[in-house]
Amino acid sequence: MPDAVQPAAGTTKTLPTTPKPFAPEDEAALREALKRCSPSTFEAAIQFRKTGNAEHVPAVVIGVIERFVEPDLRTKLKDADDDLRLIEDLGIDSLTMMEIVILVEDVLQMSINNDELRNLRTVGDVKTFIDCKIRGLPLPRPTKFLPIEHIGAVMPIQPPFLFLNEASVSSTAANGKYKITGQEFFLQGHFKDNPVMPASIMLEALGQLAVLYLLEGHTPEPGKVVNAAQIFFTGCEGVRAHRVCKPGDILTLSIKPKRNKMPLATFEGSIRVGQEKAVIAEEISLIFAYADAVNQPIPINGVAHDAGTTPAPAAESAGPIRAAINA
Amino acid sequence: MPRVFITGLGFVTSIGNDAATVARNLRELRHGFELYPPFQKPDVPCKVVGTIKEFTTDSTDPEDWTFPARYKIKRELLRSMAPNGLFAHCAMLQAIEDARLAEADVSNPDTGLYAASGGSPYLTHHHHERLLKVGVMRCSPLGIVASIVGTLNFNLVAAFKIQGVSCGFSSACASSAHAIGYAFDDLSLGRQKRVFIVGAEDGNADAILPFAGMRTLSLQADPNLASRPFDAARDGFVGTGGSTVLVLETEDEVVRRGVKPLAELLGWGQASDGYNVAISHPDGEGSARAMRHALRAARIEPAQVGYINAHATSTIIGDISEARAIRAVFKEDAARVAVSSTKALTGHGLSLAGAMESGFCVLGLREGFTPGNAHLTRLEPQCEGLNVLRASLPTAPEIVIKNSSGFGGANVALVYKRLAA
Repeated sequence: MPDAVQPAAGTTKTLPTTPKPFAPEDEAALREALKRCSPSTFEAAIQFRKTGNAEHVPAVVIGVIERFVEPDLRTKLKDADDDLRLIEDLGIDSLTMMEIVILVEDVLQMSINNDELRNLRTVGDVKTFIDCKIRGLPLPRPTKFLPIEHIGAVMPIQPPFLFLNEASVSSTAANGKYKITGQEFFLQGHFKDNPVMPASIMLEALGQLAVLYLLEGHTPEPGKVVNAAQIFFTGCEGVRAHRVCKPGDILTLSIKPKRNKMPLATFEGSIRVGQEKAVIAEEISLIFAYADAVNQPIPINGVAHDAGTTPAPAAESAGPIRAAINA
Repeated sequence: MPRVFITGLGFVTSIGNDAATVARNLRELRHGFELYPPFQKPDVPCKVVGTIKEFTTDSTDPEDWTFPARYKIKRELLRSMAPNGLFAHCAMLQAIEDARLAEADVSNPDTGLYAASGGSPYLTHHHHERLLKVGVMRCSPLGIVASIVGTLNFNLVAAFKIQGVSCGFSSACASSAHAIGYAFDDLSLGRQKRVFIVGAEDGNADAILPFAGMRTLSLQADPNLASRPFDAARDGFVGTGGSTVLVLETEDEVVRRGVKPLAELLGWGQASDGYNVAISHPDGEGSARAMRHALRAARIEPAQVGYINAHATSTIIGDISEARAIRAVFKEDAARVAVSSTKALTGHGLSLAGAMESGFCVLGLREGFTPGNAHLTRLEPQCEGLNVLRASLPTAPEIVIKNSSGFGGANVALVYKRLAA
C-alpha cells in the first residue's frame, strides 16, 4: 500500500524553522493536543505558531513537562530553577521523556533525534535545547553532574577546605550543594559556643564553584585546557549576607558566568538554604590561564577513576582563593 | 503432590463488578446485556453486548477513561494499558484483598502471574492509523505494550511487581482455562507457591465485530433473547469483555497464611480436535478427551461429578458438539449431571471465558448454589437427554467441571471440588 505510507514519509522530513501560516484547523488541532496542559501553555503555543517568536518556547516546554509530571510533584516545577532534574526530581522516565518529545514536536512543528535527547537531564537543558533548535543555533554541551569524587579529583582546593559536596556544570551555569556538618574546624571559634558559618567561607564556596566551572564548563581555545594551578581570586563586589547559616543547613550554591575571556572570568553568585536567600555576590572575579591540552595532567572530560590517570592531590598548591579571602 | 486451592477472586464483568453482585446475578439469572450504542447503526447487524458498567473506556487516551473511585491508578500505569488492562488491574486489586494477601505475598520469587487476553484490536487500530497518518516517529512510545497480545501480562507483572513465573496464553476462547491448567502444574510440581490467573478482554466493537464476518454473532436485537445456549432458537453468541482474577495457592501457603480457601482445583486435562481451524468437531471429540484426561488426573469418576459449567456459547454447531462430548464421557450419568452455560447471562468473554466461568463455579461452590441456564425455552433437539438447568439450584455439588474450547479445536477441562464449610 504505497499510497497509504506516503504521507507518513513526508512528515518525517525536517520541518522549516519559519512557521507555516496558522490556519483555524491548526488551532483546533493544537487545542486538542494541549487539552491536558494549562491555558497559558496553549496561549504560548498559539503565539509561537503565529509569530515564530522563540520567547514563547520556554512556557510551552514547561507546560508540556508539567502535564506529564505526577500532580503531587508539579509544585516543584512551579518555583523551580533550571537545575531541576527530570529523572531524580520529577520522576520522569525515558518513556515519559518520549511522550514529552512527541508532544513538543507536534506543538512546535519540529523534529528531535533520539541521540539529541540523551543529554537532557534538567529542565534548563530542555529549555536551552529547544530554544537552540528553534533558533537554528548549535546545541549546547550537556550538563555534567559531578559527584564528590570527581570534584576532589579535578579541583586544586582539597579538604578540609573544599566546600562542595556535589555539583552540576553546564556551559551556562554551575550549581552545587554543601551541607554544614558542624565538624568544620573553624566553627570551634566562630563563634564562641555558637557555631555559625563565616560569610567569608560562603563566599569562598562560591569561588570554588566558579573554579569548578572554569575546569568543567568553560570552553577553552582549541588545543588548550584551563590550568588548574593557575586560577586565582582577584575580587568581588556587591556582596550581601542575608541569613545566618548553622550546622545542619544545606547550602545551595549557584554561579553564572558573565564574561570569560582569558585571563579574566567574572561570575554572579548566590547561595540559598531551601527557598531562603543566604548570600548574594553581584560579581566574583577570577584570573586564569591555559595550558596545552596534551600536557595537562587533569582530565577534563569524565572522571578519572583508575589510579594511573588520577591527578596527584593538589593540596600543596595552597588554594589561592583561600589566601585571597582570608587576607 | 501438593494440593491446589483457590483463595481469592476478583470480577469486572457484565453481571457485576464485585463477587457479591456476581453471585446474586448468577443465582437470580439476571443478565448483563444491553443494546450497545456503537452497534445501533444500519450497517452493524448485531446489536447486543454484555456491557461493563461503571467503566468508560471508549477513548484511545487512557486519561479520558473513567472507573470507580475506589480504584486509584496512576497515569504512569494507565498510559500503557488497554481497556482490558484497566479491567484486570481492578480485578487484581479485588482478588488480592479477597485472598488477604500482603504486598510481600504478591511480590516474591514464588508468586507468578498467567494472563490471557486477545490484546486490544481497538488500540492496535488506533496506533497503526496514527503511524500511517503522522509518521513513524510520532507514535506513542507505549503503543505496542498497550495493544499487542501480551499487554495484560506486561502491565500487570510490572504494576504488581510480580517476580515468579509469568506469561500470556493464546488459545483463543480456551486461553485463560489453559492458564489455570498450567498454573496448576507449576503449583503441584512445587515450582511456585502462588499464581494469579488473569483473563480479560476489551469487549468493545473492535474486539467483537470481527466475529460478525464468521457469522458467529447473534443478530437478535432483544437483550433478553440474544444469548441462549442450548436453546433451539439460538443464533450465535453475544460478545462481552471485562476481567476475572483467581488466586491459586498451594496447601502449604494456605496453612502458613491461615486463610480459608474458597475451593480446590483437583486437576485438569486438555486435548485438540485436529479437525478445523474454527469449527468444533461435530462429535466434540477433543472436548470429550479433555474431560476424560481431567477426570483421570483428578481421580474422579463421572458418577461423582455434580455440575458441568459448559463452554456452550449459543452458536449452532458448538453447543451440539459439546452436548455430544458430555454424553460420550458421562454415558448413563449424562441425564443426571447438571449442565448450564452462564454465557446466557454474561455473553462470551473469549480469552476471558475460562477464568470468568471458573470464578463463577468457585463462587457457587463457596456460597452453595448452582447457576442455571438462563433464556432456555425449548431445548435444542440434538441436546436432548442432558440435564440442562432451567433455574439455579440452591445447593452446590461436590465436584464441578468447567469446559473451555477455542479456535483450532483446543479444548480444556478443569475439575473443582467443594470444601467443607
